[in-house]
Amino acid sequence: MTDTTGAVVKSESEIGGGLTPRQAKKKRMQSMTAEERGYVRRKAVMDAVWPIFRFVILFGLGFVILYPLIYMVSCTFRERADMTDPTVMWIPRHFTLNVLKETLTAMDFWNTLKTTLILNIGCSFVQVVSCALTGYGFARFKFRFKGLLFGIVIMMILVPTQVIALPLYTQFRYFGIRGLFTINLIDTMWTMYMPAITANGIRSGLMILIFRQFFRGLPKELEDAAYIDGCGPLKTFIRVMIPNAGSAFLTVFLFSVVWYWNDYYVSSTFFVNTSTLARMLTNLDTELKIRLFQSATVEISPREQIVWKEAGCLLSITPILVLYVCLQKYFTEGIARSGITGI
Amino acid sequence: MAEEAIKAETTAEETAPAAETAAVKPAKQRRRLPYEKRKQLYGYGFISIWMIGTLFFFLIPLVKSFWYSFNEVSIGEGKMMTDWVGLAKYDFVMNADPNYTTFLKDTLIETLWKTPLVLIFSLFIAVILNQEFRGRTLSRAIFFLPVIIATGPVYKIISGDMNSTGNTGAAQFSTMFSTDLVGQLLQFLGIYGISDNMSTMISTVADNIFGIVWSSGIQILLFLGALQNIPPSAKEAAQIEGATSWEFFWKITLPYVSPFILANLIFTVIDSFTSPTNTVMGRILAMKEEWKFGEASAMAWIYFMIVLAAIGLVTLIVNKFIYYEVE
Repeated sequence: MTDTTGAVVKSESEIGGGLTPRQAKKKRMQSMTAEERGYVRRKAVMDAVWPIFRFVILFGLGFVILYPLIYMVSCTFRERADMTDPTVMWIPRHFTLNVLKETLTAMDFWNTLKTTLILNIGCSFVQVVSCALTGYGFARFKFRFKGLLFGIVIMMILVPTQVIALPLYTQFRYFGIRGLFTINLIDTMWTMYMPAITANGIRSGLMILIFRQFFRGLPKELEDAAYIDGCGPLKTFIRVMIPNAGSAFLTVFLFSVVWYWNDYYVSSTFFVNTSTLARMLTNLDTELKIRLFQSATVEISPREQIVWKEAGCLLSITPILVLYVCLQKYFTEGIARSGITGI
Repeated sequence: MAEEAIKAETTAEETAPAAETAAVKPAKQRRRLPYEKRKQLYGYGFISIWMIGTLFFFLIPLVKSFWYSFNEVSIGEGKMMTDWVGLAKYDFVMNADPNYTTFLKDTLIETLWKTPLVLIFSLFIAVILNQEFRGRTLSRAIFFLPVIIATGPVYKIISGDMNSTGNTGAAQFSTMFSTDLVGQLLQFLGIYGISDNMSTMISTVADNIFGIVWSSGIQILLFLGALQNIPPSAKEAAQIEGATSWEFFWKITLPYVSPFILANLIFTVIDSFTSPTNTVMGRILAMKEEWKFGEASAMAWIYFMIVLAAIGLVTLIVNKFIYYEVE
């Protein structure tokens, strides 16, 4: 906004050559109507005050966001006694790595991380592929009941997981054809993989919508050219559309990874012994008591428990935080570009 | 909903034979199938994986869950046994369950006041983050950070709500967030005169600034995307006409981002369903752990129906004020 007026100021001061900038300004102000003068003055005040105001807001709110993370780091490296020491606020009095080590053992971190990664990356990958196919189908083809079927996609976005989690549980518990055979799939990774493969995993409705909007935005001429050259629709999709949709794929994949990473509702519905990081973190106190103190009844004061909890938090967000820092651009720009306005 | 399910099933059945006949017919005849018709089949082909999945992992469970909410559910040989009890489960949930109605009320009221605040806040931040200034990339990175954390259990711990993990003495943990700073400030300024309601409202908002900031990550992202899509011609026109930033916001920015307001509204509400701090969700999970499937389903359906009705109503009202650019 400031740019244009800035430019005008410059060109006029050049014309008034020989005058100092201050004089030129005064002269210019005199030549204006009262209304214009008011406008210029208000603008000058706003331009001076606003950056300060903006800085204060951003700094304050940025602190609200970063505070828990800083606190996490601070807690992780202090001894539990420091929690009850009122003089310790940010910098630990007794620096220690023990809490971190204990939490690593209690969460069985490396195994849990491995399980989480296998589940996470795999599910996200197949889900992105299946959602892309579905989104493309909805974006480019006309067929009967399309409106109704797309309505179901919207329903998938709106219906909370809680509503369908229970019947899904029984479905996986007695999976198969009734009367012929049933197998118990609870506590296996199939419970997560099967919905993901068929575009029904966590928040897949949203992903289908994103892909649909994205593919609708691509020029149709691309495909027409491919059809004329004798490409079938699937081949066209793989050869022509996918190479053009790289950024959309990456964005959806990243968000899928984040959502699977953070999910503990669906995973605690289907898993009993299989542990993801999110589940481990939710059950951290019990694990702590069992693994560190060999008894489930030990009382640790809640205030002292915080050190382990915060260490657990730090451990479970570090991998995803690293991902975020490295691929920040795709997180922040991708979803906006693919645009899901068309709701 | 049941109707939709049945319709979808018939669609799926119709497609299957159609695809079969297409495959069985000799190549010569198949080629004669009109292009539009073939394209239709390809369309079904692309969404077929999703259709199968949706049938098994969405529609059937949805109908079943609705069915469970009218039944006494018990575990039998190889399947779930159901015993029709009519509205008894709903009656139990609404009248006999000690926690549910309280949780439901609290959650709904929280959604009601938090959603508009989240929307206003995120639009405000998006407008700021869209301006040119030094350190913009860093600020953006910080403000989008909640996107990756706020949907998970970590958020539950850092927001100081540890009740579900069996910690009763957690209150002291969150002292940093719940100190009555605003109350103190108001007292310091000598403001006692405002009605109690007003000051409670202000301090509720201020105490919850943490929650609001942390749940508006993706909303900021979407608004920012919308702001970047405002055509430069509109900006130039406004500048030439001498619009102030204030006028620019109301006359240009707001109409252009209005479709996103609805999208964000729906997104915020959906996010609140699966938010780790949602007590209704916790209650449903607890019921499931006691194998009370009927009650749990009834709880989920009541909650869902209320929210769905609210979203529908808001969509109807808001839709009138949305400015869609004619394409």
